[in-house]
Amino acid sequence: MNPQAMLEFARGPFFYAALLFMIFGLAYRVFTVVALGWSKDRVPNKGSKASGVVKTYLKALLIWPFIPWVKNTFDRNPLIYIGGGLFHLSLFVVVILGTPHMLVWKSLSGLSWATLPLPIVDWTAAVGIIAMIMLLINRRINPVLRLISGPAEYLSWLFVFLPMVTGYMMTHHLWLPYENLYALHMLSVDVMMIWIPLSRISHFVFYFFARTIHGAEFGKRGVAV
Amino acid sequence: MPENNGNNMQGKGVSRRDFLKLSGLLATAMGFTALPPLEESGLPAQLNQVAQPAEVLMTRALETKQRLPVIWLNFQDCTGCTEAISRSVSPSLTNLVLNTLTIEYHETLSAASGFQVEEAKKQAMEKYAGQYILVVEGSIPLANDGAYCVIGGRTALDILKETAAGAAAIIAVGSCASFGGLPKADPNPTDAKGVWELITDKPVVNIPGCPAIPEATAGTIAHFAIFGALPELDGLHRPKTFYGKTVHDRCQRRAFYEAGKFALSFDDEGAKQGWCLYKLGCKGPTTYSACATIKWDQGLSFPIQSGHPCLGCTEPNFWDGGGFYQGQSAPLERPAATAVGAALGAGAVLGIGTALVNQAKKKAKGEAK
Repeated sequence: MNPQAMLEFARGPFFYAALLFMIFGLAYRVFTVVALGWSKDRVPNKGSKASGVVKTYLKALLIWPFIPWVKNTFDRNPLIYIGGGLFHLSLFVVVILGTPHMLVWKSLSGLSWATLPLPIVDWTAAVGIIAMIMLLINRRINPVLRLISGPAEYLSWLFVFLPMVTGYMMTHHLWLPYENLYALHMLSVDVMMIWIPLSRISHFVFYFFARTIHGAEFGKRGVAV
Repeated sequence: MPENNGNNMQGKGVSRRDFLKLSGLLATAMGFTALPPLEESGLPAQLNQVAQPAEVLMTRALETKQRLPVIWLNFQDCTGCTEAISRSVSPSLTNLVLNTLTIEYHETLSAASGFQVEEAKKQAMEKYAGQYILVVEGSIPLANDGAYCVIGGRTALDILKETAAGAAAIIAVGSCASFGGLPKADPNPTDAKGVWELITDKPVVNIPGCPAIPEATAGTIAHFAIFGALPELDGLHRPKTFYGKTVHDRCQRRAFYEAGKFALSFDDEGAKQGWCLYKLGCKGPTTYSACATIKWDQGLSFPIQSGHPCLGCTEPNFWDGGGFYQGQSAPLERPAATAVGAALGAGAVLGIGTALVNQAKKKAKGEAK
């Protein structure tokens, strides 16, 4: 299969199938959780659930990322905090604010928005890649992390790392011709999309469940979030 | 005086100055500053001096080489590639292809027609067996036993196979002859094929493009005329000289891409400022062609310079490579709402089902206790 044909496959039928599988898989997992229902309130609430939810989101979005010392994780292992934060920021900037990626969203949803200049996206991507490597090294060195890491954790790392690194190589025309790298980039993205519902990368959906439920639980007990 | 390219052209009213200009043009187009190893080319020893500027060598080579017989076949095409060459404003280039090279057969350009021209072709094939260059323009249909393209009562495939058998080399000019082009676009009703899919026992060079850049066609033919061999090819059988770099790499608007300045519609401020057309669907990053360097009409302009995104016409299947005005990074197909709905629905039903089964199991377990 020549690179052009591989690219057509990765952008065409494989992408299509991977996207539908991801939608199916995430729907399955979300509904298994939703169908569990809310736990019943067995005693009168001490505070408001709603305000607990609002507070927890505000804190998670506005305070923790910028004033890290309020979380004790920062004291114990700053690398996870900083590396993880930079990685997520990088992912957001590249996938949402990078021009080629915005055009993917546009083609799928019809919505478009302003994007950042390439050098900014590019440096952010480099930071994300370095952060991922640092986090992997940390996972291998830290005895506790090492103990709780199985094949699924390393596969999750790999399936996110491959699209990032192929995307970076493609932008810089490193080693292979552009369309070969583009084909590899798309193939790795397709594999990642299939892997998402099977793995903990799906936390980008379940994060909101966890946050909402924790917020509500804290709120009704009148505990500081 | 022996008949060669030099005196042939002078006899047809091309001045020495024009001939030198042509040689320089070809040398530049083929990317020569000094000529590559010449021993295998069979050139006289006095030409084999690397210190000489390429155009001088080119001039002498063209002057002294014998005329090259060319048979030009048209199949499922629009004759746009012939038009591009014959209407090329460069008079010397047109002369090279139309006069210097002996075009023995060409449906559009041959003065004769009907059985007479078919007879002329037959004679040329016999006379120059194993020596002539076969140029093919247009794709070859295979469906219904080739009934979609029949010339003189014979199918395109039949004619191609017969003519290819005696050719020294085959040059597929344009996207149709190279990769099937427009006739091959989905649903490809005629089962159109490119030449290299059908002829595997002869060297086939692809000069894709819609139309092919005249300088690329002429340069490749001239390369064979001068060196007696084909130029270096890439994986898709395209000469690396003309198809070695992407349009994006050589694009004058590239700086705007890097700076993140894009035209968002064809009449906005960005378009007026000449910003990058990537968001308007430009396929430049994956399109290998000399379009941005050689350009058209004697280097006057090319599509992107004129404000239109690259369609990627030198790449296989470009008609089916996503919308022309859709960003290149976008997936080729957008899942239908029904497909997304079905995936969501199936996931939801299965998810709720699993949850209910689990609840029932848990309840049964609790009761059992």
